[in-house]
Amino acid sequence: MSEAAAHPAVHQHTAPTGFIRKYVFSVDHKVIGLQYYGLAIVAVVIGMALSWLMRLHLGWATLPIPGLEKLSPAGAPGNVMTPEYYLSLMTMHGTIMVFFVLTTAPFAGFGNYFLPIQVGAADMAFPRMNMMSFWVTFVAFLALMSAFFVPGGPPISGWTAYAPLSAVGQTSGPGEGWGQTMWAVSIAIFCVGQLLGSLNFIATTLDLRTRGMSLARLPLSTWAWFITSVIGLMAFAVLLPACILLILDRTAGTSFFLPSGLVFGDQMLPHSGGSPLLWQHLFWFFGHPEVYIAILPAIGIISHILPAFLRKPPLGPRVLVGCIASIGFLSYMVWGHHMFVSGMNPFSAILFSVPTLVITIPATIATLLWIGSVYGSRMQFTTAALFCLGFISVFTTGGLSGFFLAQPTIDTYLHATYFVVAHFHFVMAVAAIFGMFAGTYFWMPKMVGRMMNETLGKIHFWLTFVGVYCIFMPMHYIGLAGNVRRYAAFTDNFLVPLIPVHKFITIAALLTGAAQFLFLFNLIWTRFRGPKAADNPWGATSLEWSTTSPPPFDNFGGRQLVVHQEAYLYGVEGASADFIMQTSSETVEKP
Amino acid sequence: MSELELSAETGHAGLMEGSPYGIPSGKLAMWCFVLSDAVTFSALLFAYGYLRVGSPDWSTPFLFSPSIVNGLVMTFVLLSSGLTMLASVEAAKAGHTAAGTRWLWATCALGALFAVLHLLEWRRMIEEGWGLFRNPTGGSTEFGAAFFCVTGLHLLHVVGGVFALAIIALGFRRGKYNRIDVEVTGIYWHFVDLVWMFVFPLVYLMNAK
Amino acid sequence: MTAGESAQSPGMKFFVAVWIGLMCIVGIEVLVTYRHPAPRVLLAWLLVLAFVEAGIALWYFMHLKYERAALAWTMLPVLAFVIFMMDQFWPDAFRMVSMRLLQR
Repeated sequence: MSEAAAHPAVHQHTAPTGFIRKYVFSVDHKVIGLQYYGLAIVAVVIGMALSWLMRLHLGWATLPIPGLEKLSPAGAPGNVMTPEYYLSLMTMHGTIMVFFVLTTAPFAGFGNYFLPIQVGAADMAFPRMNMMSFWVTFVAFLALMSAFFVPGGPPISGWTAYAPLSAVGQTSGPGEGWGQTMWAVSIAIFCVGQLLGSLNFIATTLDLRTRGMSLARLPLSTWAWFITSVIGLMAFAVLLPACILLILDRTAGTSFFLPSGLVFGDQMLPHSGGSPLLWQHLFWFFGHPEVYIAILPAIGIISHILPAFLRKPPLGPRVLVGCIASIGFLSYMVWGHHMFVSGMNPFSAILFSVPTLVITIPATIATLLWIGSVYGSRMQFTTAALFCLGFISVFTTGGLSGFFLAQPTIDTYLHATYFVVAHFHFVMAVAAIFGMFAGTYFWMPKMVGRMMNETLGKIHFWLTFVGVYCIFMPMHYIGLAGNVRRYAAFTDNFLVPLIPVHKFITIAALLTGAAQFLFLFNLIWTRFRGPKAADNPWGATSLEWSTTSPPPFDNFGGRQLVVHQEAYLYGVEGASADFIMQTSSETVEKP
Repeated sequence: MSELELSAETGHAGLMEGSPYGIPSGKLAMWCFVLSDAVTFSALLFAYGYLRVGSPDWSTPFLFSPSIVNGLVMTFVLLSSGLTMLASVEAAKAGHTAAGTRWLWATCALGALFAVLHLLEWRRMIEEGWGLFRNPTGGSTEFGAAFFCVTGLHLLHVVGGVFALAIIALGFRRGKYNRIDVEVTGIYWHFVDLVWMFVFPLVYLMNAK
Repeated sequence: MTAGESAQSPGMKFFVAVWIGLMCIVGIEVLVTYRHPAPRVLLAWLLVLAFVEAGIALWYFMHLKYERAALAWTMLPVLAFVIFMMDQFWPDAFRMVSMRLLQR
């Protein structure tokens, strides 16, 4: 298989020297990508630990958890968490997971690492701004973590931080003092970091493509990262002023979100004129595009990985790009479906419900395209491929519950029940994470130059796949039975019979969580003991496989690649191998 | 700014695909930033409108003199700074570094003047009893919150722009920055002016007595 | 001029004329305000005039006219769409008046 002559690189970079320049304050997008990934791993471990504490309490509400009192004397006297502390843990769990895991790893992590390589560039368009965006995100993470240690502890208002609870200040509950303020500060800083990242992704995708890499030849993962960054550009732009207004309400005596007549603990508050619904509108105007920011990169990643193990091109790749783009577009029209029971204008509910049902169409088309791609293929069941198939399964399951929640009449009953918890965990916590796992098993050989252990990977997959269904499938049923979410304990008559289900879910969660240590072990083992990886261990076609594992500092070793082919030429009849790389100038005569 | 941006749109003698918009990456990034910032200001103005519509006791306290007159002067200053910015870009494009730098400083000075006038107006209003949650006329306290927040965010952008202009002016003189950097700064500065074109009517004129 | 730089600029004389035009629009805004129309009418006038001003600033001052059409065609509709979507806040704003606890 011939590879076209690559030219000397357009922009010669000099490699950095010194530990700090190479690994800490690096402008190399690959290092920055790994830094984001590492941050996400730390965040996911913390977030998962929080979920274990929550699940233990839900299954066994009076069980003392050793060490909890040391973590928070006020929150867990006698090692049994108070309801307010449960809400604190829930708030931090959600915030950490949504922002610092789901927005960070599939998008900022893998995107930073692979977008420049997949377009054939030596780095992102603005390397120093890229470095800044990571460190800004890191500072945001520290600010959020500080909420654990400030007086009063973490906030209790959920990752959605609804006013008036979040806006009033100390009086509204434990953690609503410094904790809530640090939350708002952290998220505001996070918005800035993401904005800077989006600018880089957009400029790099549009401007730094190497010769022959037309937009039509871009890999699906690059398309997904690009569309996600466009969505993020405007979504985070709304969250930032919302957080600023929240901070002002909390610290400067304003009443943007605080109506008159609020009484907290026998105290009538002096605020007047504001609207808690305004916070919900502003938050969800950001919040809904945000959840698509969480899932679209994973969609791009598995769409990119799947063909390599099907050894045949994906079905309808341009349609798939259209689906991703239309999901991005529609995501700005649907936010009110989070507010069906908020007291908002009921006519608005219809205006939000219709686009929400419409958005299921491109999502369904995408799913059918994946299933159609798998049909008739001779699949290689590597771990990465298994996670792609698993993604299709959980994305479908999670998406199906969305059909119900999209309808205001049904949602009136299901809102704030475990049905919703099941829905978003399937699509976000499971599907997006499966995308992350697939990406890791697929790209780790490229990133560190060593192969991950496939046996461990497969065990990890099966334990996780079965485990997540055990955790989240029952939640649909208890939700339908009326199990309210964000409750620390279940004492009502109609909820007590559901506690055994919670116990089952908790055990499943702990076991599935334990299985993740297989993954972490695999990561560490691979880094130090994994067998050396070839340049193209999977026989894949995109540009990242046209360079060494790991790539050199400037990605292609001083070469400027020339692209001649589309992205997914697998199993082309008459070709010299069962795949044609994008850099190959091979032409195949049609039979 | 590196040659990465300058050469991007030329496709570097055919070795890269080139920008679909035919502009350097720095300029594209500034347009995207402006887009994002426009959404931020829109959200804030919508919040202001939302609270105003929902408040039956909204105040309209701005007398022609001093408030509207002051607003007009500030508008004049900011629009003129847009003109000096254009002069700077034109001079930079023609290769007249010294003239370009002078016009940059003029823009910077006008921007600083705007900020000073604005702060003086703030001081006067605060002395009259206005605050983030204070309304001396007894009307809705949301007025002060919305007013100081919207104008405050805009003022922050002006001050940031003044600093950026100074840095670019110094660097342009020394050859560290080129005409594209000047133009990119110009896009930001014109955006700040553009936001004021909404702030002045919606916050000042709509609240004229 | 390097290849690929934005096309011809119309020159400072033209920009001064645009500047005068913008000042005139501001003047019209003030005049309309002091005819004291109903708030909704005033708002409509001011918004229209502000958008005209903004359009002129974008087109000429920010040189959008002299860039490739694709730039304006991608950015402006996207911005317009996002801002248009925020209009869905209004129904709840209007309902707020009748739902207030303390009617002043």
